[in-house]
Amino acid sequence: MEFLTIDLFKAMLRQALNEIKKREDEFSQLDAVIGDGDHGTAIVTALSAAVKAAEKGTEFKTMLNDMGFDVMLETSGSTSTLLGAFFLGMSDCVSGIALDVVGIKTMFAGGLANVAKQTQARVGDKTMMDALIPAVEAMQVSTSADVKELFKAAAAAARQGAAQTINMKANYGRARNYGERSIGYADSGASSWCCMINAFAECIIK
Amino acid sequence: MKTKFINEPENVTPELLEGYVLCYPDKVKLGAENIIVRANPKDESKVAIVTLGGSGHEPALSGFVGEGMLDCSVVGDVFAAPGAQRLFQALQLMKREAGILLVVLNHSGDVMSANMACQLAERAGIKVKQLVTHDDISAGIGAPADDRRGLAGCIPLYKVIGAAAEEGKSLDELIEIGERFNKHIATLAVATGKCTHPQNNALISDLPPGIMEIGMGQHGEGGGGQKTLVSADDTAVEMVDLLCRQLQPKSGDKMMLIINGTGATTQMEHNIIFRKAYKELEARGMKVVAGRIQEILTVQEQAGFQMIMAILDDDHIDYLNNRKADAPYWTTIGK
Repeated sequence: MEFLTIDLFKAMLRQALNEIKKREDEFSQLDAVIGDGDHGTAIVTALSAAVKAAEKGTEFKTMLNDMGFDVMLETSGSTSTLLGAFFLGMSDCVSGIALDVVGIKTMFAGGLANVAKQTQARVGDKTMMDALIPAVEAMQVSTSADVKELFKAAAAAARQGAAQTINMKANYGRARNYGERSIGYADSGASSWCCMINAFAECIIK
Repeated sequence: MKTKFINEPENVTPELLEGYVLCYPDKVKLGAENIIVRANPKDESKVAIVTLGGSGHEPALSGFVGEGMLDCSVVGDVFAAPGAQRLFQALQLMKREAGILLVVLNHSGDVMSANMACQLAERAGIKVKQLVTHDDISAGIGAPADDRRGLAGCIPLYKVIGAAAEEGKSLDELIEIGERFNKHIATLAVATGKCTHPQNNALISDLPPGIMEIGMGQHGEGGGGQKTLVSADDTAVEMVDLLCRQLQPKSGDKMMLIINGTGATTQMEHNIIFRKAYKELEARGMKVVAGRIQEILTVQEQAGFQMIMAILDDDHIDYLNNRKADAPYWTTIGK
């Protein structure tokens, strides 16, 4: 596949929302180990706002900007800050109605860069960054010109990154106070972001 | 068991704000739900000062909306940051060519909402810059600013930059004045006893009788070590010493000293503490030129206080002492 069209991207977002909804309770339970126990609800609400905003989109830049605005305005909390920042950052680095692999790499790198401005967490801190950073990096080093291969690589890296959070000690945010108690459980944010990126790939490959 | 005079827990914030604006209609009003603004707004050619934070800390932060201080306070639920939506709504209300200075206390929820709202505001053509306060020194002397929480030191900052904004200083000038004030201010809290969350009665701090904790956070989070409760003079001297280790004032420096009661400690005790802290500073060769003893930022029925100290430049002294402020909880006649 040479291009990611806007319609396909919308389908990927819808699939991500469906997959995340199926695992909403699991994400909340993971969050309850060291947090408020609301992450499942928070990510479903935030991504729902994004999917709704995307429906009327006709080109990437405005659509992603509208998605970022609606995520941030319709929901609150750290989940929506990060997801909203991701879409706004993507919007800054994209144009047109279809993207080749270079365009997709640039768009995802822009999303990650803006998320990185909102949180100090990096790989190893047991946060959503453990899924997002490896996924975006895997895209950047991919040499394939096939859009499917790009998302396949991102999904594999996200799954590996999220799995690694099981053995990590929470090191950032409120969860830090619970330290050792967090070991043995995957991070809720890494799990939900991994689920999203994985759903992107599944949607495109099927 | 109920311990507080409230109605439905979820109505605590709107009801306390309603009571507040009903009492001071000549000074403050509700600009929108959970947004307090001045009853007589200042000229739009001047920079607006906006802040945000959870309720439960009354009179902070909304008590300082008024001439010469804040233009707008955006209120979250008890101890919770307001969402970005509410803050973005306030930034739209305050939009002006001169710009908006958003004062953010360094707490993760507040910082996140502020970053989110500012991102949206920039995209919507609203000129806004942030000034983050991090006066708490309980993370350790010389700890990086990011690790230090914003405590009641934001309130004298509102006075300083509020007066400067009233004078017509530009957004960039206000940032410079404010950052210079931030650099030379430090706050340390001491707590004793227990304190409960008003909405769910959860104990947010619970120290055994006869014990105090220096370095307590704004929501009862522990910080420093627990130790035996000692006399007012000994407590004051220990806290002055820690604050001076952070600020490194020199003999002859002009200082601000504020004792902020956090809820259940008496004015009597605050006065006794202030007396010793003042004398201790003078004994070290510093001159206290601006003082205040008042509950400016409380933590429910938390016993204890915050000691706020700053080394002042001449313009800061002028803004603090000589310029008019007329907010419900801070009045300066001015010269």
